Amino acid sequence: MSEGIGGSLIALGLVFAPLSLLSFGGGNAVIADIAQQSIAVYHWTSEREFADLFALSRAAPGPGSMLATLIGWKVAGTPGALIATLAYYLPSALLVFGAARVWGRWRGSQWHAAIERGLAPIAAGLFVSGGIVVLRASPAGWPVWAAAIVTTAALLRWPRLHPVPLLLAGAALFGLLALSP
Amino acid sequence: MDGAQPARAPIGLPRIFAAFLRLGCTSFGGGTAGWLYRDMVLKRGWLDEPTFLSDLALGQAIPGSIGVNLTVQIGQRLCGPAGAVVAIVGLLAGPFAIMLAIGAAYAGFGEHRILQQMLDGVAAAVIGLTFATGLHSLTHSRPSLAGVTLAAATVVCVGVLRWPMLPVVAVLAPLGIALALIQPRPR
Repeated sequence: MSEGIGGSLIALGLVFAPLSLLSFGGGNAVIADIAQQSIAVYHWTSEREFADLFALSRAAPGPGSMLATLIGWKVAGTPGALIATLAYYLPSALLVFGAARVWGRWRGSQWHAAIERGLAPIAAGLFVSGGIVVLRASPAGWPVWAAAIVTTAALLRWPRLHPVPLLLAGAALFGLLALSP
Repeated sequence: MDGAQPARAPIGLPRIFAAFLRLGCTSFGGGTAGWLYRDMVLKRGWLDEPTFLSDLALGQAIPGSIGVNLTVQIGQRLCGPAGAVVAIVGLLAGPFAIMLAIGAAYAGFGEHRILQQMLDGVAAAVIGLTFATGLHSLTHSRPSLAGVTLAAATVVCVGVLRWPMLPVVAVLAPLGIALALIQPRPR
């Protein structure tokens, strides 16, 4: 049993540490890979469970997505949550820490601007991809697609909408629909 | 960069921890950068706006959530490496505990159909948020045709074909940077 837990902890570390360094623009960029690893590769969650954990992780306070924490908890309890959290946040945090020291020297240089501009469309593409992958993993089918598209349109039209009421509205709407026979 | 900020008495680690603990527990719905600005710059005056903006720029250029990236920098400014560690632990401690509580509750009640439906509703809204953020940043930056193509290629490879993102990014990122280097910035 302890060997199984150890193997799980290592797997959690191996999955989330690289993703830490790939999360350009935040956790949304790596959602697609997290889904793929959790569902298809390691079978840590079913599609249904992943969709649930995804929603739960975003409904709670905190930076980016603590989805790694939640998945780590599901895989191996509190140690799993700890390892997944450390693996997911430490690498990029160390990178920021180191980069902040050299930041002053090359800020505004041609390289910095090029890196920002060059990566921006890819980061945007990763965000959209993440949304698509979670939609495809969601067993609920077309209603989720429809609600997601409506939410997207609303936010593009009114970018200053606060996200929390939208999450609550989504929960209320779907909950009410579930109540109807 | 240290010279840009007026010298101040170092802020104690417990105060830093408490401030970020509170921030972590109250920053609902993302937008941690906004919360940090309001608290650190406007309310506490622990750093000035130009410094914050500089930290924000670096935080966005480096992978990782902007909230965490900002926290590392601010903590480091306030009290060196120890400040950075304490700030990060403070920021994540509350959400970490909340995640564990949610996980335990889900394990107990997760099978309930209505709850799952509600979570579907939340997920739909979150996905909409994610789409909107990606699309908004794409249109906001006025990308070239090459930029849009790169974005579309990313979506096809990672979202549709479900290729792992590491090789996709490893190929597309240098392309994007190279293109950005040779194209003049539209002013």
